[in-house]
Amino acid sequence: MNDVIDICKVEGSIKIDGQEINKKDVDVNLLREKVGMVFQKPNPFPKSIYDNIAYGPRIHGLADNKDDLDKIVESSLKKAALWEEVKDRLNQPGTGLSGGQQQRLCIARTISINPEVILMDEPCSALDPIATAKIEELIDELKKTYTIVIVTHSMSQAARVSQNTGFFHLGKILEFNLTEKIFKNPDNKLTQDYITGRFG
Amino acid sequence: MSEHIVSSYEEQLKKLHSTVLKMGALCESQFANSIIALVKKDEELVDKIIGKDDRIDELEKKIDEQVVNLITLRQPMAIDLRETVSAMRIASELERIGDLAKNIAKRVKNIKIELNNEDFSLIRSASELVQNNLKKTLDSYSKNDEKLALSVWNSDKEVDVVINKLLQDLLNHMKKDKKNIESLTHLLFIAKNIERIGDHSTNICEYVHYFIKGEDIKGDRPKA
Repeated sequence: MNDVIDICKVEGSIKIDGQEINKKDVDVNLLREKVGMVFQKPNPFPKSIYDNIAYGPRIHGLADNKDDLDKIVESSLKKAALWEEVKDRLNQPGTGLSGGQQQRLCIARTISINPEVILMDEPCSALDPIATAKIEELIDELKKTYTIVIVTHSMSQAARVSQNTGFFHLGKILEFNLTEKIFKNPDNKLTQDYITGRFG
Repeated sequence: MSEHIVSSYEEQLKKLHSTVLKMGALCESQFANSIIALVKKDEELVDKIIGKDDRIDELEKKIDEQVVNLITLRQPMAIDLRETVSAMRIASELERIGDLAKNIAKRVKNIKIELNNEDFSLIRSASELVQNNLKKTLDSYSKNDEKLALSVWNSDKEVDVVINKLLQDLLNHMKKDKKNIESLTHLLFIAKNIERIGDHSTNICEYVHYFIKGEDIKGDRPKA
């Protein structure tokens, strides 16, 4: 966005491993390797299920040969709890899967390059409760290996999946606290008004 | 505190609050009446008290249902959740108070001695003290006043002092007046019931404090 829109203005600070990511000299390609992204609407590439996963490892040079790549595809799909459902149709288009499966495909695609952080922007907002539960189960599993930052409008989801919660309002972070604290007894009155549905 | 955006949710919470207050008021009057029935030996009033106990149980069930509905349908958060959960616990304390009042009333017909005199003034002052604490407890809930709840909680030691005196007093009567030992034994139980009602009031104070402040009252309750 910095490059496309002239008037784009960024304030505040985001650091990964102590390094400010919003500086001119930061290599965005390397940054993208560290930070995987999953979006609100599942956005698989218009390619086969296999190639959706293989794309990242190929361009980042993570696999030396076809065997390596096969292994990465299989383990990524397994980690994303999708392998059993798609192992016999890896050459079919990713876009042919159901919404929940597509979202898990996107998560598999993200973890195929082994990022440090996965950023999930409303990953379940287009999914039914069962597909949502599968993604949340996956988040529980993946958080053992990756740092996951999830943006959600569903307070119950924030309460279910996170250990720490930040409450953002109009571009400001109003409270950052343990999730339990936020939902049981927040420090900031605005947080309380918001989560209890009193925000006027 | 400002109101909820969804007014039906606001109403549901207010309704729960008012059901708890209704149950509280009923328990308050059951307890007050049980003491009146005791002092005046009013058996008609005893029957009335026993008959009304079902209504207390009904209200407790109603509160449980309202709480479960709120949790299922509204998923209350923060202070709303604390209030919802506390309502259920307060209702169960109130139900116990109702039972104790009924138990006092049931003992009335077994008491063959005159209580409306100086010899038994302690039983009246102890119950006045506890009635007053129960009233303040319900006020603290009604007005969301955690300071009042805390002050009642702290003042329970005065109840303990009076009850201990009363128990000693009753034992002295027993030693002197052996033919009335049955009546006096019932009075011992009644004294214990009054003390327990005081204890349930302080438990309610703890829930009121928790739901308003989000934390338990610190330290142990002062005891005499």
